[in-house]
Amino acid sequence: MKLSKYLKPYMLFALLTPLTMVGEVMVDLLQPKLMSKIVDEGVLGQDMGLIIHTGLLMMLLIIIGGACGVGSSALGGVASQGFARDLRSDVFKKVMGLSFEQTDKFTTGSLVTRLTTDITALQQMVDFMLRMLVRDGILFIGGIIMMLTLNVKFGIVIAVAMPIEILIVVLVMRKANPLYSIVAARLDSVNTVMQENVSGARVVKAYVREERESQRFGKANEDLMQANLRVQKMVAVLQPALMMIMNISVIAVILIGGFQVQAREMKVGEVMAAITYLTQVLNGIMMLSMMFQTMSRASASAKRICEVLDSEPVIQDGAGANCTEKGTVSFRGVSFYYPSASGRPVLSDISFDVKQGENVAILGATGSGKSTLVSMIPRFYDPVQGDIFVDGVNVKDMKLSDLRSKVGIVLQKSELFSGSAADNIRWGKKDASLEEVKAAAEIAQADEFVSTLPDGYDGIIAEKGASLSGGQKQRLSISRAVLKKPEILIFDDSTSALDLGTEAKLHKGLREGLKGTTVITIAQRIASVKNCDRIFVLDHGRLAGSGTHEQLLQSCGVYKDICNSQMRNAGGEE
Amino acid sequence: MPPMPPMGPKGPGGPGGPPGRHSRINGEKPKNGKKTLAKLLRYIGRSKYIFFALMAVMLIITGLNLAAPSIQQRAIDFITITEKRLNVDLGGLGRSLVLLGVVYAASSVFTYLQGILSAKLSQYTVKTMRRDLFDNLVHLPIKYFDTHRHGDLMSRMTNDVENISTTISQSIGSLISGVLTVLGSFAIMMFYSPLLTLISLSTIFLTIIVSSVMTKFMRKYFMQQQILLGRINGHVEEMVTGYRTVVAYSKEQDAIDEFSSMNDELRRCGIRAQICGGVMGPLMNCISNFGFVLIAAFGGWFTMRGMITVGTIQAFILYSKQFSRPINEIANQYANIQTAIAGAERIFEVMEAEHETDNGTSCFTAKNVKGDICFKDVVFGYEEGKTVLKGLDLDVKRGQKIAIVGATGSGKTTVVNLLTRFYDIDSGSITVDGVPITDIRMAELRRSIAIVLQDTVLFSGTIEDNIRYGKENASTEEVKAAAAHANADEFIERLPEGYAAQLSEGGSNLSQGQRQLLAIARAVLADPPILILDEATSSVDTRTEMHIQSAMVALMKNRTSLIIAHRLSTIRDADKIVVIDGGRVAEMGSHDELIALGGCYYKLYQTQFAGNKT
Repeated sequence: MKLSKYLKPYMLFALLTPLTMVGEVMVDLLQPKLMSKIVDEGVLGQDMGLIIHTGLLMMLLIIIGGACGVGSSALGGVASQGFARDLRSDVFKKVMGLSFEQTDKFTTGSLVTRLTTDITALQQMVDFMLRMLVRDGILFIGGIIMMLTLNVKFGIVIAVAMPIEILIVVLVMRKANPLYSIVAARLDSVNTVMQENVSGARVVKAYVREERESQRFGKANEDLMQANLRVQKMVAVLQPALMMIMNISVIAVILIGGFQVQAREMKVGEVMAAITYLTQVLNGIMMLSMMFQTMSRASASAKRICEVLDSEPVIQDGAGANCTEKGTVSFRGVSFYYPSASGRPVLSDISFDVKQGENVAILGATGSGKSTLVSMIPRFYDPVQGDIFVDGVNVKDMKLSDLRSKVGIVLQKSELFSGSAADNIRWGKKDASLEEVKAAAEIAQADEFVSTLPDGYDGIIAEKGASLSGGQKQRLSISRAVLKKPEILIFDDSTSALDLGTEAKLHKGLREGLKGTTVITIAQRIASVKNCDRIFVLDHGRLAGSGTHEQLLQSCGVYKDICNSQMRNAGGEE
Repeated sequence: MPPMPPMGPKGPGGPGGPPGRHSRINGEKPKNGKKTLAKLLRYIGRSKYIFFALMAVMLIITGLNLAAPSIQQRAIDFITITEKRLNVDLGGLGRSLVLLGVVYAASSVFTYLQGILSAKLSQYTVKTMRRDLFDNLVHLPIKYFDTHRHGDLMSRMTNDVENISTTISQSIGSLISGVLTVLGSFAIMMFYSPLLTLISLSTIFLTIIVSSVMTKFMRKYFMQQQILLGRINGHVEEMVTGYRTVVAYSKEQDAIDEFSSMNDELRRCGIRAQICGGVMGPLMNCISNFGFVLIAAFGGWFTMRGMITVGTIQAFILYSKQFSRPINEIANQYANIQTAIAGAERIFEVMEAEHETDNGTSCFTAKNVKGDICFKDVVFGYEEGKTVLKGLDLDVKRGQKIAIVGATGSGKTTVVNLLTRFYDIDSGSITVDGVPITDIRMAELRRSIAIVLQDTVLFSGTIEDNIRYGKENASTEEVKAAAAHANADEFIERLPEGYAAQLSEGGSNLSQGQRQLLAIARAVLADPPILILDEATSSVDTRTEMHIQSAMVALMKNRTSLIIAHRLSTIRDADKIVVIDGGRVAEMGSHDELIALGGCYYKLYQTQFAGNKT
């Protein structure tokens, strides 16, 4: 398996684990033998010295065995935990290098599961394999050998009982496994109904659907219970059936033992030892079945982890190049389409130049490709055709870290992180002083509300900014970008929750505070873009026009349409 | 004592519920254990026949398990050759083996019965709890959902319920049979030889002390491990959800560094926990073997003096094992049960949360509503001491279209929340057709109002199901007519399966505009006398909005409509525009009147609609 390389650094521990385990198992195997010696020779032979002597020997062995056991769990722990740490760290690094398409495809929830639950499952499997596989293997084989050395005739018992046990385990598992997936699916539907009712409570109530939702849930709930019962009834067979076989075997051993004792070929203590070994062997089978379960679960996890590890980062880092200009952006025949979207281009053949310090707006209907266009500047996506130049250098030749330090982007969805308001703004510049942070917040019009927070800039932002309004979140993320002082600042529809007054103040602040910064703004409202130096109009992935507000009103039909849809209402404002 | 891998109902590699994001830490203590336990027992008590049958079966199993070693001992005695008996007593051996077989067979049958019964008990109980939880949940006031984290509510439904289920099916059973076995073994051991019993008791005490100390340590480390895992979960979730920002600010390395330090800590803690867990087995093994040697030594001595037989020693060893094993078990199960009770406490918390108050008595029915709405001196705040509405007066005549505008946070949406009784007012009165809304039966009130919200809520199911949400018993024709009315038919018919198309995950396969159209179709189908549009088109671009607009106009015809919007295009056609400022109605009138007035609305209009002229 591919993941085995993660165990390599811990090979020594991984090898020592089963070795020490052998020590523990040997003691386990010797124990019944010594016990039978105590009974046969000590108790029956009325030899008190022998009892104490052998007893002490047994205690000593047990202590050694116990030490081995503790040692093996420690060694196994070092190996498996180290394995898990390295794997986890590699997977996380990989995730941090994925493109957005890839993270979107995996989904957040599933990436979290892969990094935690799946890796924990693998870690347990490694530990289990290192210790239990060896332990049960030895106990199992050793038990059989020991029994046969006691008396070859016991072999018959094992030869009959073992295949039956294996058969039962396999049959039950084969029947139960598909039932488990049914349970999982039903559990999902119960959760879905619940989730929908929690997040859609307003609509449920508005349409007075409480009773119907209860019925819907009742059905899902009933289905889940039935599925659960079916699995549990199936699995309930396993234990009693295995017990039965084990117990019949015990009876057989006593019976055979009885004849052997009669024939003076065996002693009672040996029969007792045989019973112990037999239990060991048959228990081993139960453990093995459990191990198969663990392994099948782990192999599913391994597959999911490999999926992440095998995904090649789509965006390759550039070699680094010297910039010839500052604050410029150029598109040359850029086309883009998502591989999944059946080839319909999101953007086709876009070319334009933006000069340093220019204030440019991009306008277009939802789905016209505005966000995709600006996402390609900091290389969130790469164009399928054509090239993009920043500061006169093809972005593919620039080092990603250089490129992204030049380009600041405020995203459509404000993403805030746990920590204080200042921490969140400091994302723009790690070592910024509080004054710098405040200055940035002032430009972004965030200062006024941050200073009213109970703890001001040190106020902890609740989970994903849940305590803040949309506009407040947007202003915080704008502060972050402003603090970064990028050469090129992009607003990806990130002022939608600001009223026009605030937006105007923001633009004024930017003009004064970040002089010479190239600003690219995506917006919906004509009012928020009409004062820009230039406006690009996108329509179905094509550049339908560019120019100032007045020019476009003359020359661009699409722009006029959008204008009309918004302005017709502004009644006599022009 | 190998650790058993969990064999929960999730099955091998099964997708199951949400991952361990909200996993509870084992060993957690409930706040009010006794009360919760009593309530939990009442739930179990609903299947009391199963419960008593299960108890009876367990009693029988324990009895059989206790009897087996002594029969086995008799069999061994029959094959023991002593000076008195030089031959194996084959007849006696046969008889005792047959008896042993019967006991074993019975034990297997009853164990199977126990499995079935405890599965039924736990599933029935948990099903009832889940049902009650949900039935209570749908009747909780909106405030509850607004003030509780949804993830937390979900976790109660999944993890906590799951915990209770496994506890009932496994822990309670082993706890009871553990206690019974301990008592039974003790009695039998006493019967065989009080002296040997006393001797083996000494090791039992050792077991109890050592295991309780060890468990404490183990729990400490395992809890630490859980907390660390939780932190890693949180970090990964945050970094992946905010991945675009992480990348935009080139923070990948920082994220990795922070992850690494948590990861290292997790490894250290994991190793410690594992060693701690690894010590437990051998230590217990040591003690039980020490007990064995003691029994053998003293037993041997007693046999030599003819006080007991060899078989007795054999039986004694078995019993003393049976005696010490459940003691570990009981300690473990006790912790599990504590965790389950803590979970049950959280579930009961939801169940016992106060329902919406619905003491309407008026004969008001949705069918006869005319649609006059009146707010009189309404005062309301979401939190005590923070009033949002400070004496709002608003009079809406039937059939009027009223637009409500105001700055963010001025209380526009609050008006909607109050009219639909999602929240109840602190003072003042709200009437519909002159009847105070608190006197109207909740269902009738809400049936007379349709709301289209900014965030469209769609449910899993087909498009048709989702539209039919507006009117349960609507025919397919009615659904189609409503869709056509809302201009939604066009896109629906373009879908491969049309009206039968399944919506995935809350309709994420539809565009925002399409979702909005569905919500409007739903309202059309409901056909109520009062309509509320709360920023219903704000996330749609203006050209798409024009498309929806005609649907809206059709929808508003002959209805009392309240429209909340920050786009002029949406509110221009209203009969009356109401400007809310400072928790009161500041201005009221038509667009032109208000512009002419040059007050609040004029300013708002200048900043929000017309452009940046400030």
